Amino acid sequence: MIKKIYLIGNPNVGKSVVFSRLTGVHVASSNYPGTTVEISKGYLQLGEAKIEVVDLPGTYSLESTSAAEEVAVSLLKDNAKGEIAVVNILDSTNLERNLLLTLQLIEDGYPVIICLNMCDEAGHKGVFLDAKKLGDILKVPVIPTCAITGSGIKLLIEKIKEVAPVSRVKLSHDERWKEIGRIIEQVQRLEHRHHTLREVLEDASVRPVAGVLIGAGVIYISFKIVRFIGEGIIAKITDPIFFNFYQPLLEKLTFHWQEKGFWFHLLIGDLINGKIDFKQSLGVLTTAPYIEFGMVLPYVVSFYLILSLLEDIGYLPRLAILLDNLLHRLGLHGYAIIPMLLGFGCNVPGILSTRVLESKRERFIAATLISIGVPCVPLQAMIFGLLGKFGGFYVAGMYLVLFSLILIIGLILNRAIKGFSPEFLLEIPPYRFPPIFMLGKKLFYRIKGFLIEAVPVVLLGVMIINILLYFKAFDLVTGIFAPIINGLFGLPDASIVALVIGFFRKDVAVGMLMPLSLSVKQLFIATTLLAISFPCIATFTVLWKELGFKGLAKATLIMISVSVIVGTLLNFVILH
Amino acid sequence: MKKISLAGMKANHKGKVVEILGGVNLQNKLMHMGVHIGKEVTKLSHIGLRGPVVIKVGRTILALGHSIALKVTLEVQ
Repeated sequence: MIKKIYLIGNPNVGKSVVFSRLTGVHVASSNYPGTTVEISKGYLQLGEAKIEVVDLPGTYSLESTSAAEEVAVSLLKDNAKGEIAVVNILDSTNLERNLLLTLQLIEDGYPVIICLNMCDEAGHKGVFLDAKKLGDILKVPVIPTCAITGSGIKLLIEKIKEVAPVSRVKLSHDERWKEIGRIIEQVQRLEHRHHTLREVLEDASVRPVAGVLIGAGVIYISFKIVRFIGEGIIAKITDPIFFNFYQPLLEKLTFHWQEKGFWFHLLIGDLINGKIDFKQSLGVLTTAPYIEFGMVLPYVVSFYLILSLLEDIGYLPRLAILLDNLLHRLGLHGYAIIPMLLGFGCNVPGILSTRVLESKRERFIAATLISIGVPCVPLQAMIFGLLGKFGGFYVAGMYLVLFSLILIIGLILNRAIKGFSPEFLLEIPPYRFPPIFMLGKKLFYRIKGFLIEAVPVVLLGVMIINILLYFKAFDLVTGIFAPIINGLFGLPDASIVALVIGFFRKDVAVGMLMPLSLSVKQLFIATTLLAISFPCIATFTVLWKELGFKGLAKATLIMISVSVIVGTLLNFVILH
Repeated sequence: MKKISLAGMKANHKGKVVEILGGVNLQNKLMHMGVHIGKEVTKLSHIGLRGPVVIKVGRTILALGHSIALKVTLEVQ
């Protein structure tokens, strides 16, 4: 009796698509403790029974050599072999390498069914496999599938019931590779195909000169598209809703509210020229939803759309190769670009994913650099909204400052911290265009995650800030920090509140700057300081968890020193 | 026949793996990805002077950091 179904296979074989096909929409994603490895679980209706399906992290073999592989193997060993079915998913275009894991699974006595995925792609590439013969040789069911279109999945489900362990002699590494060679000779037929445009691009993007040009182009275009879509959503969807519908509604509701006391201050905020101003009123029902839904959410949607697309197409590992040299000088290796890019969405997942880096030293450097030099989407969205009015020059200038900081601090940390930066070993996947439903699903989960994390904090945050402002509780803080903020950074006292609030949420903090009518220079300094100084409290907690108290203290010290130096330099030297 | 490291080989050249230095973990990692003794690999590119090396082995494309590439010895014609 099968109690659980495990999906196992090499990375990039379309495992998650098969998983989606088997389980439908009922997916629950959970973060496995101790790693960033996501384990997805779902259910498959098999006859009368509802069976749990577990999507294991990609692994090349059962002898684990990385954290992700250890998780996969230990989960697999958790159950009695008689109670599970192991669906081994193989990439048909790359059967030879995939068969290593298959042979190990069969030799270890797991009840295996083979899913020869990406059959259509194999055909296009001139790879033809004899599934029946492969099944005869291995004595396990072999089902050709194309998970993207869904073909073969039905047969796969039917055959899952029939899995049974087969006996096979355990081989040594050398013997196993020889055996794989023999199997390949019998089941695989290759036809010569001319290079397609896709293959030419795949090749060009890992060449030194062409690769760098393509990389620069991809980053530039991605940035442009993110802004284009973000601005488009604001102009066409969210602004009309806020200004043509929500504002008149609020004004109608509060028209008869004569006494504008505490509650009015809390919910609506200050009226500007007798009207609600979403950017300046600072109420729980006015500015708070406008910041989150009218300014930040559109960019969250466009950023994650482009990031998910780049991830699924398979471009990011190529970017890692190109940046390996540069990142080595910062004490990291090329793969560190992945946590950094994720950090641009939100620093929390960025810092969590520094676990893909091997050493403690690397993780410290990467996490510190992300906290200082990588602004999250909510912060960037607000900066576009505020600084963008004065021209792209200032927005570009801020990115330049942050990029220089990453380089300078990285160079220093690499010198200052003992140890060396390990090397990477990475498979570069072929370019694949992700099926739209998978892309949509990913985007949906990411946006949902953002809303769950951000909205309550923002509403509550604005409420608490309003109460504190109402009772003038910030006066003490303002008094203490005024000499630094005023004397060194050239910012007005009122901006201190915003900088302090940056510790809770960056987007709200920039929102607090909106009513202050700062000059461009002041706005530039204040937003740059918000980006490099303390990360928000959520990031802070993750830093603590990942780096320990000592690491957090060190990182914080670096952040404070850098903020003071950069703020002063910007004020007195660069923008003087 | 001469022996040369993967880092030292020119781009677009082929060679047969004859030796992999380094620890068991690295050897295993490479082996699981298809790089093992006796296997023919093609070097596709080398990014920068001491940068990573991109190779093709079977139908897989792999990127190896420079110092890993130094540890893989090939036999070339």
